[in-house]
Amino acid sequence: MNVLNPYLKQYKGTQIFLVATAILTGLSIIAQAYLIVLAVDRVFLQGHPFESIVPILGWLALALLLRAALTFASGRAGVRMASKVKQDFRRRLLDKFSKNPVQASLQGQSGQKVSVMMDAVDEIDSYFSRYIPQVIQTSIIPLMILIIAFSQHLYTGLLMIITAPFIPLFFIIIGIKTQKKSEEQLDKMAAFSGRFLDTLQGLTTLKLFGRAAKQKDAIRESSYGFRDATMDVLKVAFISSLMLEYISMLSIGLIALELGLRLVVFESVTFFTAFFLLVLAPEFYLAIKELGSAFHTGRGSMGAAKKIIDELEKDDQPVAWGERQLDVSNPPVIHLKEAGFKYGDKGFELTGVSAEIKPYMKVAVVGRSGSGKSTLLHLLAGLVAPSNGSIEVEHNPLSNYSEEAWFNEVSYISQKPYVFSGTIAQNIAIGGGKQAAREDIIAAAQKAGISQMVSSLSQGYDTPVGEGGRGLSGGEKQRLAIARAFLKNPSIILFDEPTTGLDLKTEQILQASIKELSKKSTVITVAHRLHTIQDADLILFLDDGELKGAGTHEELMDKESDYRSMVSLQQGGNSA
Amino acid sequence: MKDLSIVLKEVGRERKDIFMSILFGFLAGITAVGLFASSGYLISKAALVPPLYALTVMIALLKMFGLARAVSRYGERLYSHRATFSILSNLRVNFFEKLEPLAPGIYQKYRSGDLLARIVGDVESLQNFFLRVYYPPIVLVIVFLSTIAFTMFFSVYIALVLVVGLMLTALVVPAYFALSQRKIDSRVREQRGELSTEVTELLYGFRELKLYQRLDEKENLLKASSQKYIQEQEREGVQLIFNQSVNTAVSLMVSWVVLALGAYLVTEGQFDGLFLAMLVMISLTVFENATPMAALPGNLEESRTASNRLYSVVKEAPAGTLEPITSLPESQALSVRLKELTYQFEGEEQQAVSNVSFYLPEGSKTAIVGPSGSGKSTVLMLILKVLQASEGDLQLGGQSIKHVKDEDIWSKSNVVLQDNHFFYGTIRENLELAGTGFTDEEYKNALHQVELPHFDLDSEVLERGENLSGGEKQRLAIARAMLKGQRLWILDEPTSSIDALTEQVLYERLFEQAADDTLVLVSHRLTGLEKMDQIIVMEKGEVVEAGSFNELMAKQGYFYEMKQIEKSVFG
Repeated sequence: MNVLNPYLKQYKGTQIFLVATAILTGLSIIAQAYLIVLAVDRVFLQGHPFESIVPILGWLALALLLRAALTFASGRAGVRMASKVKQDFRRRLLDKFSKNPVQASLQGQSGQKVSVMMDAVDEIDSYFSRYIPQVIQTSIIPLMILIIAFSQHLYTGLLMIITAPFIPLFFIIIGIKTQKKSEEQLDKMAAFSGRFLDTLQGLTTLKLFGRAAKQKDAIRESSYGFRDATMDVLKVAFISSLMLEYISMLSIGLIALELGLRLVVFESVTFFTAFFLLVLAPEFYLAIKELGSAFHTGRGSMGAAKKIIDELEKDDQPVAWGERQLDVSNPPVIHLKEAGFKYGDKGFELTGVSAEIKPYMKVAVVGRSGSGKSTLLHLLAGLVAPSNGSIEVEHNPLSNYSEEAWFNEVSYISQKPYVFSGTIAQNIAIGGGKQAAREDIIAAAQKAGISQMVSSLSQGYDTPVGEGGRGLSGGEKQRLAIARAFLKNPSIILFDEPTTGLDLKTEQILQASIKELSKKSTVITVAHRLHTIQDADLILFLDDGELKGAGTHEELMDKESDYRSMVSLQQGGNSA
Repeated sequence: MKDLSIVLKEVGRERKDIFMSILFGFLAGITAVGLFASSGYLISKAALVPPLYALTVMIALLKMFGLARAVSRYGERLYSHRATFSILSNLRVNFFEKLEPLAPGIYQKYRSGDLLARIVGDVESLQNFFLRVYYPPIVLVIVFLSTIAFTMFFSVYIALVLVVGLMLTALVVPAYFALSQRKIDSRVREQRGELSTEVTELLYGFRELKLYQRLDEKENLLKASSQKYIQEQEREGVQLIFNQSVNTAVSLMVSWVVLALGAYLVTEGQFDGLFLAMLVMISLTVFENATPMAALPGNLEESRTASNRLYSVVKEAPAGTLEPITSLPESQALSVRLKELTYQFEGEEQQAVSNVSFYLPEGSKTAIVGPSGSGKSTVLMLILKVLQASEGDLQLGGQSIKHVKDEDIWSKSNVVLQDNHFFYGTIRENLELAGTGFTDEEYKNALHQVELPHFDLDSEVLERGENLSGGEKQRLAIARAMLKGQRLWILDEPTSSIDALTEQVLYERLFEQAADDTLVLVSHRLTGLEKMDQIIVMEKGEVVEAGSFNELMAKQGYFYEMKQIEKSVFG
């Protein structure tokens, strides 16, 4: 239970409050027992008139209400503490993700990150809202009862002290056993529990092969298998509860027996003391037992906490920025000087890329998949910082410029542009300044050849798209990204050319648009089209994380045998 | 309760376990009451110095109650959890029975990946219905009634107080809170959805946000959204604690009234003081059973929503077949004719397939090509009657499929989809879908045909074929279709993850087997289409061109252009 403790320190105030409520709860429990016993004693044994216990009843009502109020106060404090911790964890994760673009841009891991930010953070809740308040209560209330017991009757106190440790002891022993047992059953349970989803997902296949009807029995069978495996684990847990219950029952019984004997045989305690202690004894064991169930929920939070902390402790690869402004009358000249990048310690490495990219150049980056093309594009975009070598813009390191100055000049048209949840207009406007005029958005959409599609929709530019909105096809997304670029009007365009699957119209628009955009900017393309490569002023040929050659198509065909074979393989493959 | 009627029916099937849960729950509750009652009585009796044997009997009773209580609690837990899991199983089977006739059309219709995960989650969350909503109130009422009956022997007034207490803690207070719970629940879910969208957008759209300098804006939105979500969670948490505290306060006050009234009756001489301690102890204990009632509204609401959402998916009636029902001829190649077929997905503005007509003679080989989203796969789904066209007609072997059962079409076609499912089991079991009664020899041969000779029939396949590569899965799916050996082939990009060389070999063997059969192939790649009888080019749900490879190339139209682009594309 250690990983979360450092975070607990920030909530000293809440903890002090919880300690105070625990002490008050203890007092109200004792007062409740005392007052009940006092009232019964007076009317039953001492034959007092009813009026004499009226004030006692008044105090008792107060103590009872106080107890309920304290339960509420302590619970609420726990819930509030959990809220703060959750918000804090989300903020830290967010910071981590946004300061560490490499991680965040590796899209394959995004799903897992979403789950850490949503589910893992939520699972932390019970540790702070339930476990911590219970730990504080358990460490205070039984102690207070114990003190009272000792002050009233030595032997009851001794019995409590001797029997109490058996509860945590048994709990630990059985906890270890259950864990072993549940680990053994875990695979089985996972297999059985996945079967239902498996069948639902495969229902199309099953129906097409006429095998669906049979599956009913398979579902029942696997559900029963899951039930039996789970029951095996639960049985051990229930036996542990049984033992705990039995221990506390036995202990209460012992105390009652001892008190009864003293009361009758030895007449060494009064009815008052005996009854008082007998009312208190169950409260003593209850507080210890409740820690057990809170412990279970607390342990559930641990796994989630570990996930979050692992994520927070991952190495950063931050990008540094300066203050320098960028003159934008012309696209800047870019020098790559032995630039390279490495993902983490063991990840893929791109090394030693040197090139000069002059204004208005058309640059093509080519190479097999996994050769480092996307990494190079990310480096040029300023999304990641070179881990060796440098990138110079107008003869100054890129890191000297302000983030805003640089990003104002860059557009990135990826193969799968992300569509945000919002309207089509909002999605195009993300390319422009904070407040893009509607005319500008429409003009950009026209240039990107998407306006016809948009006007065919009943809500036009206000059609919701993205999550929960209308789905866009691959071609439409590409054209949306182009419209963003037209609206932004940058001096450097990074373009990840699509590999397949586009309609002719989009193909034509892409060609025309890139041509149009290249009039005003430098275009760097991860190229998948032969004519893009043939058109390029400079080709950067990458292989296995290294720059194998640079030059025009003719030059490379001439001097690079690997390049030559790649091109001829491509054409050979197609004519087959 | 209408929303939960199906769930209630499924719960009802586990009569024995329910009975045992209630029995043991009752025993656990009543023995606890007995235990504390007898300890109160014991002390009072002891105070009056009774004969020792009376004390011994009482102590023995005390022990017995203690042991019985622990054992019955164990029994209650065991049986109630067993019942819960059995009910879960019933619910799954019941839901499957309802979903099965609607599949696979319903999957196509919803087109949302999370539909299935949601179904599984909802079924799972219904398991709480029995454990936390159904049987605890029954146990509570029985325990209370018995306790009240017992109390009647001593004082009718105190029994009445307990009745009032029961009404308050088990009925009035939870009912009041149930009303407010509905609103909170939906707000928490709403906020969670909102936050989830923000997180997804930030992480998946990171690059765009960074480059367009919208990251800070988005971060603030996310923080605000998280704050709101947490606030709603907090409100929910505090509300639950408040419910519990109020319930506790009410039950404590009832015990207080019992004490005050009892004490008054004792002083008035209407009630023997010997039993006062006992009744106070009874009251304090019996209300412990009422504590879970505070959490009941939340669980009830959750079950209600889950059941509602779950069964709304399967509400509609399965697609029918018009009378008179005709069946397709056995082992005969079928012609396929589409007449002005139109299909539109629910909630989408554009038609997925719009006014499509073509004719595939029996034994012909046809490729449907076009960009993604052009409606190619939808056409296949329409041919298979997985989807039903809103307009137009489709004929198989000259018969309108409106009069043909969908199962009949499926049993007479070999289908390979883009995403073929493989189940947990062995390779053999997964091939057996094509039909039982094949020898190992035949299975082995099928594996040879798809270039998987190294596969062992007994090797394990994990769920969804997780331990197989994309290409292996596609090859196994082709093997499955080849084993089935029907005369209509429906292939939806069957080789997209297979390398070009193997693809060629597979197609050769496939066309060899299908030489006299009707075959429809949806293809992304434009290579190897020279030997097709007909190529249908689709865009935006419409047929833009059709003809043989040579015709289309000579025409220099859409197909020709696509071919030119494909030629120039680099890997």
